[in-house]
Amino acid sequence: MAEATKKDMPTETAENMVTLTINGRETTVPKGTTVLQAAKELGVHIPTFCWHPKLKPVGACRMCYVEVEKMPKLQVSCALEVMDGMVVHTDSDTVKQGRKAIIEFILLNHPLDCPTCDKGGECDLQNLTFAHGVDDSRFEFQKYRFVDEGMTTTFDDRRIGPEIILNRNRCILCYKCVRANKEAFGEYDLGVYERGSIAEINAAPGEQVDNPFSGNLVEICPVGALTNSDWRYKIRVWLTSTTPSICNYTSSGINTLFFKENHHNKIYRVTSRPSDDIDDGWLPDVTRYGYQIVNSPDRLTTPLVKKEGKQVEATWEEALEIIGKRFGEIKERLGGVCVGALVSPGLDNASLHAASRLMRVGFKSNNIDFRGDYRYLPESSESPFMRLCSRPFKIADIDDSDVIVTFGSDLIREHANEYLRIRKAFNFGNARIFAVNPYQTKSADVSSLELVYLPGTEESVVNGICLAAIEDNLVDAKRGEKFKLKTPTKSSAEAAKVSGVDRESLRTVAEALAEGKKITFFTGEIITRSRQRDLIASALINLHRLFGLKGRAQMSALARYANSKGAEKLGLLPNPRTVVVDKLRGLWGEYPESPARNTDAMMALIKKEEIKGFLILGSNPVMLYPDREFVKEGIEKLDFLVVADLFETETTELADVVLPLASWAEYEGYYVNLEGRTQKAARAVKPIGQAKPGYEIASLIGEALDPEMFQNEQQIHSEVRQLLELDSVIAYPDDFLEVKADTDGSQGDYNLPLYIIDDWHHSGHLTEKAPSLANFASEPYIEIPPQLASELKIAHGDSVRVESEVGKVILPARISEHTQNNVVLVPRNFSSSNVTSLLMRKKRVDRVKISKVDE
Amino acid sequence: MILTQESIQEIKEKTAKYPRKKSGILPALTVAYRQLGYVDDEIYHEISKVIKVPYVEIAEAATFYTMFPKKSRGKYLIQVCHNISCALLGADSLISYLEDKLGIKKGETTADNLFTLISVECLGSCSTAPMMQINHDFHENLTREKVDGILETLRSEA
Repeated sequence: MAEATKKDMPTETAENMVTLTINGRETTVPKGTTVLQAAKELGVHIPTFCWHPKLKPVGACRMCYVEVEKMPKLQVSCALEVMDGMVVHTDSDTVKQGRKAIIEFILLNHPLDCPTCDKGGECDLQNLTFAHGVDDSRFEFQKYRFVDEGMTTTFDDRRIGPEIILNRNRCILCYKCVRANKEAFGEYDLGVYERGSIAEINAAPGEQVDNPFSGNLVEICPVGALTNSDWRYKIRVWLTSTTPSICNYTSSGINTLFFKENHHNKIYRVTSRPSDDIDDGWLPDVTRYGYQIVNSPDRLTTPLVKKEGKQVEATWEEALEIIGKRFGEIKERLGGVCVGALVSPGLDNASLHAASRLMRVGFKSNNIDFRGDYRYLPESSESPFMRLCSRPFKIADIDDSDVIVTFGSDLIREHANEYLRIRKAFNFGNARIFAVNPYQTKSADVSSLELVYLPGTEESVVNGICLAAIEDNLVDAKRGEKFKLKTPTKSSAEAAKVSGVDRESLRTVAEALAEGKKITFFTGEIITRSRQRDLIASALINLHRLFGLKGRAQMSALARYANSKGAEKLGLLPNPRTVVVDKLRGLWGEYPESPARNTDAMMALIKKEEIKGFLILGSNPVMLYPDREFVKEGIEKLDFLVVADLFETETTELADVVLPLASWAEYEGYYVNLEGRTQKAARAVKPIGQAKPGYEIASLIGEALDPEMFQNEQQIHSEVRQLLELDSVIAYPDDFLEVKADTDGSQGDYNLPLYIIDDWHHSGHLTEKAPSLANFASEPYIEIPPQLASELKIAHGDSVRVESEVGKVILPARISEHTQNNVVLVPRNFSSSNVTSLLMRKKRVDRVKISKVDE
Repeated sequence: MILTQESIQEIKEKTAKYPRKKSGILPALTVAYRQLGYVDDEIYHEISKVIKVPYVEIAEAATFYTMFPKKSRGKYLIQVCHNISCALLGADSLISYLEDKLGIKKGETTADNLFTLISVECLGSCSTAPMMQINHDFHENLTREKVDGILETLRSEA
C-alpha cells in the first residue's frame, strides 16, 4: 500500500534507483529517468531535434538513437526509460550508421537553402548534418514542395502570427512548437495536419498565432521553419555576441540573453537563458520583444530645458546648473520637505538607493516612493499588507505544491511565467488549483475550480472560507472561536451571499487548505491595487492563523515590477522598517525626522502647493496613477519638476528639465526579483546619446546641490549590499485581526465594474514603443463580456463610449473570450487610451456605464 | 449547424464515457462522417463546440486519417495499393488504366458520383498483389480484364 502512494515522483531511495552502463561507464539514476537524461548527466552528448527538457518526449525525429545490448534494434533514447543492468552504447558503428540514415531521411524534403536561411549558423539540422550526416544523398527525385496558392516559386513563407513567419518546406516535423504551444502554454492556435511527407505545421485556419508566449516557438524551432520579423534578415548570428541580462518587465527576474553587435552599438534580439528556479526557459513575448525600446529612434538623447515655455535641447552642465539652482532655492526658502521624489521600481538597486540618499541626505526629506500607479497606499511599513508582501516566496516551489490558490490576480497578464508554472503543476502533478478572481480569467484553464466573486468583496471571500472551515470542523475549534470574536460576519452563508460565491465552493477551498501539505497561496494586482488592500491582507493573515498554515504554506502578495522587491528592501518607502532606518542612519550618520509621505500623500500636497519641487525617475504618474486629473492638476502647479525617462511621456511634457535616462541594457545593474533573489543584468550596449543611468543622475543632482553629496559607485554598491542582507520578513501579529467587511456598492447609473489591466503583450508605459509588441496590439480597447455586448448590441470593433462620474473616453470594443460576468477590462499600456481619467483615487472599485457610439 | 440533432446526441453519448475529452474525437468524427459522407473545417468547428475540445485537436486527428475525407466521395471508393509489392507488379499502370477508364484523375470522383479513385499505402495483401479495395471488399491479383469486369458489375448494381 505504502508503495502505491509513493509512485508520483521518483525519490532517491535505494529501491527507486536503477544502475545502468553507458559507454562503459556505470551510473545510478532514479527510476523513470530516460536514457537520454542519464547520458546527459554523465556528460555524454546525444544529438536530438524533437526533444525538449520541459516537454514530454515523443520520439518523432529518431535522431537520439542508441544501441542497447540485447535489444534487437536501435532505440530512441529520449523516450526509453532506464532499466536495471541496461548496457547502452551511444557511439558504436551501428548508432553512427543509424544517425546518418536519419539525417539523410530528414533531408529528403528539406531545402538546401542555408545561404538564404535565417537560421544558418545556429541551425540544429545544419550542425548535426555536419557532425553526423553524409555529404551525399541517394534521393534523386524532385523534393516535395509546399507552394502557396498564387505563388510560382517554392519559396513558401507565410506569416502565421503578428511576429511569426512559417516556411513549411524547411519544417522537419519535430512537433516541438506544437507541443510547447499546447502542453506548456495551453494554446491551441497551431497544429500539425495531414501525415507523411505532406504533413504540415500551420496555424488553425483563420487564426493567428498571437498568444503571449508565441516567441518561444521561434526560439525552440531546430531549423529555419519558424522565424520572427524581429531578427530575420537583420544580421547573421555569428556576427553577434551575447550578454546575460534579466527581464525588466516582469517581477520574476526572467533570465535573458542579449544578442548584440558592438560596432553598431545595437541589440538584435533577446533569447532565454534557461533557469529552472525562475523561468524554465520560457519567455513571455513582452520580455522577448520589449528590448526593442532600447534601440528606438524616439529615445531621449539629450537633456531638455524649458525656456520661455518650450523645452529645448541643452547640455548636461546647463541642465544640472538649473536643477542645482532651482532645487537649491526651494530647499533654502521652504526647506527640503517641500521636495519629493517618485522613482520607478524598474530601476536597479544602485539607482534606487542613490535616489533615496539624495532625498534623505540631500534634501533631508522623507518624501519618496516607488509606487507610482497605486492609489491610497499603506502609511506604515508594518501594515497588514506590507507584512503579507514581505513573506518569503519561491517560484520553484509552485511545481510540487499540492494546493495552489491565486487570489485577485489576472495571472497571465501580471505574472506570465508563474502562470506557466501553475500550468505545469496542473499537467504533471496532482495539485488542487483554485483561481479566485472578480472576473473569469485564463487561469480557469488550469484550475480545478474558479471562484468568481463580486467586485470589491475580497475580504468576504476570505472570511467565507474561514467560516466554512469553522462550521464544518475542518480547523481547531478554539482558534475558530477566537477568529469569530474579530469577524462581524456571522456565517459562511452570509459571506457567500455578500461575495456572490456559493458556499460549496468556499468549503472546497477550505478543505484543500486544511488538508494541503505544501500550499502556495498568493495575491496579485487586483489586491495590491485595491484601496482596501490592508483590510484584505488582514483577512488573509487571519486565514493563515486559523488554518495553521505556518510551515506548510508559502503565502505572499507578489511584487509586480522588476525591482519592486528591491525598492521595498532598500527602504524606498516613505516609512521604511525600523531595521532599515537604523541601518541607513548608521551608514549616512543622519536620517531625516521630517514627516513621510507616500505617492498619494505627495500628490495631495503638490495640489495644495506644499510640495514645490519634484523629481521623477522613470515613472509616468500622469499616465498611470489611477486618477489622472488629480495628478495632472497638481503637477501643473509645481514650481520645479525634473523628470528622467527613456522617452517623452505625458509626465515629461510638464517638466522644467527632462533628463535622458539609460535603459537597463545600457549599464550594469542588480535587481531583486519577487522571491528576493538578487540578479545581475550586465551592460550590453553603451547608453544612447547622452543618456545616463539612474544612479549617476541622482548622484549628479546631489552634487549640483552640494559638492559633498557626490556618491561614488563603489560606495552605493556597498551600502546596497548591506541593506539587502537585512532580514526583510515581518512577522505576523499574535492574534486575529479585526476584519469588518467594507462595502462599495454601485453608484446610480455607473454600475458596471471596470478593471484596469495590462494587455497580453505589454507591460508598463514604454512597451508600446517596441514595434514587435505594437504588431500584437497598438491601440487601446475595451474588453466586454459576450453577453453584455449582445444586450447592448455592441459588435467587435464598434466604438464604445465609456463614462464614469469623472471622465469619458471612447474605445473600440473587443468581445472577450474569457470574461463572462458583468465586468469590463481596459488596458492601461496605451498612452492614447487616457483610461486613468475615468478613475478616482477614493474608489475601491471603479464603475462605469458604457454605450455604443452611433455613427 | 450542419450536424443533425440526432448526430449531436449520438456524439454526446459516445464521448461521455471517456475520462479525457480528447479521446472522444475519433468517435465524434465517425458519427459526423456517417451522417455527411465527409468532414470539413466547418464540421471540425461544430464538433469542437459539441465535445469542448479545441478545434486544432480535431483538425489534426481528422486530417491524419484517410477515413475522414474533406469532400464527399462517390458511392464506390476505389483504393489502389501503390506500395512495393503492388508497385512491382504494375500498380502504377493499373492506376493510369483506371484513370483512363473512369475519365478522372487520382483523387477525383466521376460525374455520376459513382466512383472515387485514390491510391493508398499497403493494405496488407502483398501476396495477392496488385490489389485494390472497393468500399469494404478486397479485389486481388488484378489484371486489366478483371478491373473491367469489376467496374461492369458495380455499374450494373448501382
